[in-house]
Amino acid sequence: MTARTTRLDDGVRGALRAMGAAAGKGLGDPGLAELVQIRASQLNHCAFCLDMHLALARKGGVVREAQLGLLSAWEEAGDDVFDARERAALELTESVTLLTEGFVPDEVYERAAAHFDAARLAHLVALIAAINSWNRLMVARRIPPGATDW
Amino acid sequence: MTTHTDTATHSFAPERAPRLEWSRHAPEVWKAMLRLSKAASEGVDPGLQHLVNIRASQLNHCAFCLDMHTKDALAAGESVERVVQLSAWDESRHFYTERELAAIELTEAITVLTDGFVPDEVYETAAKHFDEAELAHLIAAITVINAWNRFGVTCRLTPGHYTPGQYA
Repeated sequence: MTARTTRLDDGVRGALRAMGAAAGKGLGDPGLAELVQIRASQLNHCAFCLDMHLALARKGGVVREAQLGLLSAWEEAGDDVFDARERAALELTESVTLLTEGFVPDEVYERAAAHFDAARLAHLVALIAAINSWNRLMVARRIPPGATDW
Repeated sequence: MTTHTDTATHSFAPERAPRLEWSRHAPEVWKAMLRLSKAASEGVDPGLQHLVNIRASQLNHCAFCLDMHTKDALAAGESVERVVQLSAWDESRHFYTERELAAIELTEAITVLTDGFVPDEVYETAAKHFDEAELAHLIAAITVINAWNRFGVTCRLTPGHYTPGQYA
C-alpha cells in the first residue's frame, strides 16, 4: 500500500507534536497514555497509529500484554485487567472520540473527574484530542503502518 | 444578553457553566493548539475555511465552535442562506461551488472517521479541485477544527458570548 500523499506542513506537524508532548507530560502516566492512544486509534481505524502505539506500549513493558489484548473489550475485561482509573480514562476516550454520535455524557465526565484532578483531566482531554488529530491526518492521507515518511 | 433576541415571551433554560477551563489548566497545550491552528489555516481560503469549520462543528455538535464560526463567517460577508443550508449541502448543491462541495464532502469523511475510512472517491474528488499542497492544508484544517470541537464539547464551553474576530 502506498500513501495517498505524504505532504504535511512542517508547522502543523511541529505544533501537533508539541501539543501531544505537552498533553502526555501533563498526564504523567506513560502506560495510560498508550492505552488511550491505542483505543482512539482502534475506533478511528488508524493502522499507522495502531502500529506505532502498540510498539511504544510494548517497549520496556510500559503496558501489560493482557491489557493490549483485551483493550477493545475493556468493559468486559475484569477489574484485575483494567482498574477504575483506567476504565474512567478509556470511557472518556471513547466518548470524546465518538463525538459525532452524541455528546460527552455527564456520568462519563464525572467518573473521569473523580479520578483525575483538573490539570490532569485537561491534559487527558488534550491527549485524546491529539491522537484523534494524528488519526485524521494519517487515515485521510492513507499513511501505511510502519511508514517512515509521513 | 447576547444569546437571544426575543426574551420577552419565552423563559429559556438557564445557561450552564463550563465543565472545565482547560486552557487555564493546560497552558502549554493551549499555546501549541494556537500555533497548530495558525499553521493549518495558512494556505486555506478563509471563506472555504468558514464552511469547513461550521460543517465539522455541526457533525461534532460543538455549540461553542458553532457560535464562533457562524458569527465569523457572517461577519466576513458569508450569506445567511449558505450557512443555514450547510447541514443539507447535498440537497442544496447549487448554493456552493464544486470546489467547496469537494471540501465539504472531505470534511465529513474525515470527521466521521469512526464510521469507516475516507473513501477513495471522496479523496479523489478533493484531489481534482486542490493541488497537493492545498489538499495537505485542507486536511490539516479539518483535523484542527475536529480537535477544537473535542475541547469545546468535552469541557462544555459556553456558547453565545463570542464576538467576531475575538481570538484573531
